[in-house]
Amino acid sequence: MTGGANIPTLDELNVQEVNVSSAVLKAAAHHLGSQCDKANKEFMLCRWEEKDPRKCLKEGKKVNECTLQFFRQLKMHCAEPFTEYWTCLDYSGSAELRHCRKQQRAFDNCVLEKLGWERPDLGDLSKVTKVQTDRPMPENVYHSRPRPEPNPVIEGDLKPSKYGSRMFFWT
Amino acid sequence: MTERRSVTEELTKMAASKVKQDMPPPGGYGPFDYKRNLPKRGLSGYSMFGIGIGFLLFGYWRMFKWNRERRRLQMEELEARIALLPLLQAESDRRTLRMLRENLEEEANIMKDIPDWKVGENVFHTDRWVSPLNDELFNLRPKEELLHKKYGFQWYV
Amino acid sequence: MTIFTLIINPLMYIIPILLAMAFLTLVERKILGYMQLRKGPNIVGPYGLLQPIADGVKLFIKEPVKPSTSSPTLFLLTPILALTLALMLWVPLPMPFALTDLNLTILFILAVSSLSVYSILGSGWASNSKYALIGALRAVAQTISYEVTLGLIVLSLILFTGAFTLNMFNSAQETIWLILPAWPMAAMWFISTLAETNRAPFDLTEGESELVSGFNVEYAGGPFALFFLAEYTNILLMNALSAILFLGPSFNTVNINLNWAIKTTILAIMFLWVRASYPRFRYDQLMHLVWKNFLPLTLAMIAWHISLPISMAGSPPQL
Repeated sequence: MTGGANIPTLDELNVQEVNVSSAVLKAAAHHLGSQCDKANKEFMLCRWEEKDPRKCLKEGKKVNECTLQFFRQLKMHCAEPFTEYWTCLDYSGSAELRHCRKQQRAFDNCVLEKLGWERPDLGDLSKVTKVQTDRPMPENVYHSRPRPEPNPVIEGDLKPSKYGSRMFFWT
Repeated sequence: MTERRSVTEELTKMAASKVKQDMPPPGGYGPFDYKRNLPKRGLSGYSMFGIGIGFLLFGYWRMFKWNRERRRLQMEELEARIALLPLLQAESDRRTLRMLRENLEEEANIMKDIPDWKVGENVFHTDRWVSPLNDELFNLRPKEELLHKKYGFQWYV
Repeated sequence: MTIFTLIINPLMYIIPILLAMAFLTLVERKILGYMQLRKGPNIVGPYGLLQPIADGVKLFIKEPVKPSTSSPTLFLLTPILALTLALMLWVPLPMPFALTDLNLTILFILAVSSLSVYSILGSGWASNSKYALIGALRAVAQTISYEVTLGLIVLSLILFTGAFTLNMFNSAQETIWLILPAWPMAAMWFISTLAETNRAPFDLTEGESELVSGFNVEYAGGPFALFFLAEYTNILLMNALSAILFLGPSFNTVNINLNWAIKTTILAIMFLWVRASYPRFRYDQLMHLVWKNFLPLTLAMIAWHISLPISMAGSPPQL
């Protein structure tokens, strides 16, 4: 694999991780998507442009910080309805959102009241977005060789072939 | 004697009178109803056909309405994944890099007696990022961890 | 640990299926009896409830007669294959959670149920008897012919539900059962399952009254019992599958199993009712029904089921 010097040390990788289960993540997903929009999009753009996880650690840390901040706020203000919501999802088989609309409404109302967050409309999170960033555009991420020179322009007179195309039996 | 006479008398009498044969009544029997007679009950064929088509139309309408709703629900589920993707991707990137780093340290420890061994030498002739294989990441770990990574979160076959 | 995974778990899977199937045979004999104004089995146990067990015990303690000219390995292997396949088919059914959550459940079921053809063909050939061989050929021809329409009908249903999993069929039928928008398919499906499981009125292979019982003439005792078990297990499975495909058994998710079991039972009783009511088909009529009526109809219905959701913007969600 890649040379030893290029792998970041464990200290660099040390981030406070988001230690919650999948039901919690799913229950929070839509609000998380709209609240951490900036950090998320920044990270995904970096990841897409650089094609290299080593170069997007900073952005990744931002994503983690934002998510942690998000969950702290939830815990501070709406712990109870949120717990009810994700417990419902956890117990509803394949954790489909449609099975827990009642708890979801309570959670949404609480979040709107206390924090002023609104659930994004259907289709908002999957929109194509432009991201304003200070990170310079990387050059040649694939380390491809320089393209060869194009063929020189033919000077002579170009005529159709005398006996027609060899590819077909007509013309 | 008398008896004998009476028998012969009878015989002559029978020969004389007409034999009574069993015959149809004069003018023949009355008309006999031999036609197949099924009582006509229930709906006519056309109306049953119509009801069937009606059921079909109602069913299509209901089904397609629900399918549209299901498409919306699916969009919602997929958007939840979109929202979570950056976090999960960042976590998995860090996890991979951490394992690579640990592998490097372990490699240095194992190969410290070989004089000119370059720790973490790149096997590819490139600087670009090559995603490590699972077998490479878990090579120095117990086999259960590799199996867990491969199949631990598998839902369906 | 091993005693659990290797012995107890398989038994917990096999025994309920075999029990259900055993009581299906009793239900069949009772219902046929009452439809013909007699009582059916009522001696062994209360109301004849122990009759299936007595039958099973009888069959298995009988001498397993084996024709001296038969091919011994195949002759014993094919009944085992038949029952194994019949039991395997229950693995991916959602009750409400499947034992193995297959992504392509319906294809799995179609594939495994077509494999049972080999058990019929093998047993007929291994018996080394003209009657058995010809009976097997007839049964195989019938089964694979009706598989064609079964596959096509399922395909046209999938165009409405959007996935090959049976779970998706459950959630697709939450507002309406598929039997309404697809009742012609439901009718053809029901008839095809009758033919597929060699039931009356398509039971030419074992028409006891005029033929010599088809591919399993030479079988007796235990091996015959295995064929018998496989046949009735398949019947029950087909009914369970029809209930999922057309009758949407998850209207309320609390009692899905009870709901589903009731629908399966009703379909099984329909099977018996048909057996009590209709005369047997002739072989050419049987073949004409599938190749000249069902096949063109289902092909046309597939074209219809492709074009209609697209034109009405009602196609299902797809991943």
